[in-house]
Amino acid sequence: MTQYFAGIDIGSTMTKVVIMDSGIISSIIGPTGPEQRRLANKVMEKALHEVNIPFREITYVVATGYGRINVPFADKQITEISCHAKGVAHFFPEAKTIIDIGGQDCKGIRIDNGKPVDFVMNDKCAAGTGRFLEIIADALGIKIEEMGEIGLEGNHPAKISNICTVFAEQEVVARLAEGVSLHNLVAGILESLANRVSRMVNRLHVAEEVVVTGGGAKNVGLVKALSDKLSYTVAVPPEPLLTGAVGAALLGKDIADKTLKDGVSLETKERSLKEIKIF
Amino acid sequence: MAEEEKKEVRKKRRTATKAAASIGPMVKESIGGTIRAKQEGKKLAYTFIVCLYDEILSVMDIVPVWTENYAGVCGAKRDAERFLERAESLGFSRSLCTYALCGLGFDQWREKLGEMPPDAPWGGQARPDMMLSSGQILCDPRNKWYQAAQQFMPDVPIYDVGLPYPLYEDDIEVADVQDYYIKHITEELRGLVTFLEKQTGKKMDYDRLSEFVDLGERTWNMIWETYELRRAVPTPMGTGDAMNTMVPMVFMMGTQQCYDFYLALNKELQDKIARKEGVVEDEKYRLLWGGGLPSWFALTDFNYFNSKGAVFPVETTYRMIEPIYRLNIPDTNDPIERLAWRWFGYWTYWYDKAKKRPGSEPDVERLIQYIEDYQIDGVVMHEAFSCRTWHLGLIWQLNQLKKIYRPIPVLILGKDGEKTKGKRELPSLILESDIIDISSYSEVDTRNRIDAFIETLEQTKKNKV
Repeated sequence: MTQYFAGIDIGSTMTKVVIMDSGIISSIIGPTGPEQRRLANKVMEKALHEVNIPFREITYVVATGYGRINVPFADKQITEISCHAKGVAHFFPEAKTIIDIGGQDCKGIRIDNGKPVDFVMNDKCAAGTGRFLEIIADALGIKIEEMGEIGLEGNHPAKISNICTVFAEQEVVARLAEGVSLHNLVAGILESLANRVSRMVNRLHVAEEVVVTGGGAKNVGLVKALSDKLSYTVAVPPEPLLTGAVGAALLGKDIADKTLKDGVSLETKERSLKEIKIF
Repeated sequence: MAEEEKKEVRKKRRTATKAAASIGPMVKESIGGTIRAKQEGKKLAYTFIVCLYDEILSVMDIVPVWTENYAGVCGAKRDAERFLERAESLGFSRSLCTYALCGLGFDQWREKLGEMPPDAPWGGQARPDMMLSSGQILCDPRNKWYQAAQQFMPDVPIYDVGLPYPLYEDDIEVADVQDYYIKHITEELRGLVTFLEKQTGKKMDYDRLSEFVDLGERTWNMIWETYELRRAVPTPMGTGDAMNTMVPMVFMMGTQQCYDFYLALNKELQDKIARKEGVVEDEKYRLLWGGGLPSWFALTDFNYFNSKGAVFPVETTYRMIEPIYRLNIPDTNDPIERLAWRWFGYWTYWYDKAKKRPGSEPDVERLIQYIEDYQIDGVVMHEAFSCRTWHLGLIWQLNQLKKIYRPIPVLILGKDGEKTKGKRELPSLILESDIIDISSYSEVDTRNRIDAFIETLEQTKKNKV
């Protein structure tokens, strides 16, 4: 009988769900918003609907991300550190270093055989995160999705000195007024972000293969800036937003396999997605 | 089903020992005691912990007002913000030692009002008759804080005791330089005695000082023996408790009350060991608190670690003693000299050991010793942004430890699928916050890091060969 495993990653800006059997059969990515509990239900329903599988047939559900405590139907909650390690190793078995650049935080993880052995987190400052890019894109009047390509065309990246997102925004506007080209400005911003991230990640003694995940991995200019800064080629998974959810589902499979091997019953939550009313 | 609106309720902190639980009332009584002492006309002195002259003050009947302690109390009660903000409004930088900021804000307010600020924690901090500053490692606030406070109390004299941090260098032997340090420290202490005699109109009773210093040394030995009991598996006491039980060590050294406290703690731990009663029922991970003063407003984080089966049998923070036999104190009847040797011996104890291991240095050597003695699975450090003294160099120490000390045997999977034996460093975690300023702290983020660290420890244990 086919077993299905679900991983749900509720990040600060995006919520991701995957359903897997031997591979990914369904995946949903959507904005998180404030009503995480209600949203967790909705995205799971959507993911199940895509493959016409009832929730009761999901063998195990693992939740990860900051919002993992807001997933009442999850059988287990595991941090993104372990889930990203597992997920990245699935795509890159020889990966040793993961850099996850999320909406509101960034992390570095050293892994060995898909297991985390060390990590660093920047959860105190927007300057190494997707939020930094959102604010700057807004200030420049461009779409965040375009930043990477625009930055790649900048041959002389502007030096952005401020490490504070708010003050960097002011600096960018001032440089634009001075006549610095948009391409060079964006290239400078991406370089600045890469500097911040690599300073943090270098605490881990970076080793190859280096993989970048999260929304930041979709920015080709940022990936190049990181590669240049770290002096390592940086690999990107097929869908970098999903590695956490993939890892969560795979860890769920590991748990199910272990209970089978140990001859004990698999403890799960009730398989229903009840509607939750806030008031 | 509608979700109920939840009220925010702070979980009460749990301690594992009765000794630790007794500290809160002890500190409250001590602070109240300084206010009463002031009313009775006794001489009060602002001073810092680990000052080396605890016994001197006792003999001169000077009541110490421990300014760092009071700031810690404000922090623990989450009532430091108004004092920090006041200090910032006076022009002090937010990046300064937040003990000092809290104290300066408090002092200015008290002086302006002519009475304690409203609802001052535990009655407030008594106004001193003198302020005694003293250096310690890199801590320049310990020299500058009281100079800044003197702006608000211009009639209160300051005496600064210059206590050195003996330099560690590969090509300097401790034995070759110790006489210079001892001479300097001794002169500094004698200068302090002269100042105190002038302030009090009393002469120092050196015989009585010898008795206090003897008791202090016996207390150092008692604390050492007691804390070493925590090597037991399961450990009977963790760092959370030690952040309480350090109080007599640093605020009452040389007194019978101090010695009796550790004697009672010793017995309590022995009883727990006999019953195999640990800090937690199922001890899974033994951790070393490798450095950093704690976040006084978030000591419940130790309970959070405990809830995951993680305990801290040992810490470097506030373990300000070594057994006296290690300090090579020569035979001398001069209590001032004995104090000087105690200071020098404590700070230099790890120097010779560090020289024997390539890449090591005293703080790293101490970490290694504790890891081995206490069967440690992982190291946690706390980076408090406002304190250079105890936090500068922590990351370097951790990096160096990882480079030179790899005790975990593992199998490493090579590119061709072959497994080879290797050694790995201990997992480590760095928490980031502050000692007093709660605006630097996020419980959600801190606990997320702790969760991730526990998962890392679990994986490391599973993969151990």
